[in-house]
Amino acid sequence: MRTGRLRFAILFITAVLVLLLPLVVTDRFLLKVLTYAGLNVLVVIGLAVLFGYGGQVSLGHAAFVGLGAYTCAILTTTYQLPFVVGFAAAGVIAGVGGLLLALPSLRLKGHYLAMATLGFGELATLLFIEAVPLTHGVDGFTGIPLPAFGSLVLRSPAQLYWLVWGVTGVAILVCANMVALRPGRAMRALHGSELGATACGVDLVGVKVRAFVVSAVLAGLSGALYASVIGFISPSVFTLTASVTFLAMAVIGGFNSLAGPASAAVALTLVQYLDALIPGMSREAAQFVQAYEADGYGLLIIIVVLFAPAGLGALFARRSRAEVQG
Amino acid sequence: MSQLRVANISKRFGGLTAIDDVSFDVHEGTIKALIGPNGAGKSTLFNTLTGFDRPDRGSVVFESTELVGRPPREVVRAGLARTFQNTQLFDGMSALENVMVGSQARQGRGFLTAAFRLPSARAEDRTARDEAGRILRMIGIEEWSHVRAADLPSGIRRLLEIARALATTPRMLLLDEPAAGLNATETAELTQTLYRVRDVGITVLLVEHDMGLVMEVSDDIVVIDRGRKIAEGPPRLIQKDPAVISAYLGEEVTPDDV
Repeated sequence: MRTGRLRFAILFITAVLVLLLPLVVTDRFLLKVLTYAGLNVLVVIGLAVLFGYGGQVSLGHAAFVGLGAYTCAILTTTYQLPFVVGFAAAGVIAGVGGLLLALPSLRLKGHYLAMATLGFGELATLLFIEAVPLTHGVDGFTGIPLPAFGSLVLRSPAQLYWLVWGVTGVAILVCANMVALRPGRAMRALHGSELGATACGVDLVGVKVRAFVVSAVLAGLSGALYASVIGFISPSVFTLTASVTFLAMAVIGGFNSLAGPASAAVALTLVQYLDALIPGMSREAAQFVQAYEADGYGLLIIIVVLFAPAGLGALFARRSRAEVQG
Repeated sequence: MSQLRVANISKRFGGLTAIDDVSFDVHEGTIKALIGPNGAGKSTLFNTLTGFDRPDRGSVVFESTELVGRPPREVVRAGLARTFQNTQLFDGMSALENVMVGSQARQGRGFLTAAFRLPSARAEDRTARDEAGRILRMIGIEEWSHVRAADLPSGIRRLLEIARALATTPRMLLLDEPAAGLNATETAELTQTLYRVRDVGITVLLVEHDMGLVMEVSDDIVVIDRGRKIAEGPPRLIQKDPAVISAYLGEEVTPDDV
């Protein structure tokens, strides 16, 4: 119990520090980068539930982000509906997409599931490009209004940071509850042995579908925030590359952990903006790092899978094991 | 009145008849063994009883519920739990957590109640934890509670799978070769466990190759060979049955095979 309380205290302090950060960080650009990090954490947390706990791989998560982003953009720009409506609808539409993607997952495993989700992602990209009247095609969608609640329009980097991290924080809390209780055990069980889980009466279909829907909804919400915070979206943002990046963050973060993947998402997002974050870093050096970013992810994934399959999550797991024994 | 009535079960795979018109009864509170040479169709029969495979013909009635056509999940809920020849544990989870999954068999998926940490979800979690601890104590492996299943010795893994099946609160337990891969000490522990399970009122049906174990614990034995039932009765009669000896026991004890 005492270690449980310690864990809670650490979580609480982390949350407070994350929320207070904009009061200390005055660099607007850094604050923006940290906001993007929050958007990525939101997606990766969902992926950690689906993949890290449920063992269901997805190479199409950027599609859910895109579905959410376009839903929100269309509703708030074309139809001038309030941000809250666009945000909620983004979650619903992405959730329906997750339901659709869950159907092949009931029959497919491993590589085959990866291929199916990859195909889903490519289909979604095609939809974003071809449905010109709705999405404005390859030109992208501009002039998306900033998030607003009634007459309160969030415009400062700090306000946007708080919005994104507020949503992400709630998502982390909800997911942490889910994985700590019965659904988490059910997901880890089907990851461990589908036969064994079936013999225990676990509803395999129900659990898989729910895991897909939960992670799709979170990705969709992240997309809605992305669209409103940045104000511009285009099909090139929600491609396979983005899906692979999300999966890389989840893998490097490790299985059966939320803290690991969340940390990995923050770290890898910062790497993308290295030149702006390290003053005095030469342009060439930054370009070099960014040119080999994808290769770096690949290398990192190989290293993690070969030498540290528990990923970054292992750093946090020691504490939770102590809790089990204490 | 029998608790489980298997009637005229047949199952074909393509041109191969795996099970051919097999019928037998299992009575409440007994330990019954299903034996036969390799490839006799024992595991297939087990799968048809537990919903993992659908027989082409025949019926399986458990406490007046027809099980044929029901998915494994409903069979578990009806009170018939099973283990596997190759243990199907959740390797990444602790022994306690493995058993907790079993104890949640009768409940739904609970994503929403868990997401908001509703009191019902927390209460249920505590109940499952207590229940799992109680079962691990009953089986006598509570000192392994917090060890990952992957790190357990094979004897403990067998017992853990039985504990997990017990957590689904079955009235009958189907064990697929529980002694496979166990040494003499571990087999002796398994024997004690089987008696303990029977003594709390749970009927046991086991497929087993270890004849010593089968002859010791069984009240009743059914023998199948090439998909057909060739004998049924108490151990002392089965040991003397000419059909059984020629089909199975005979070939086991011939010096040429050793």
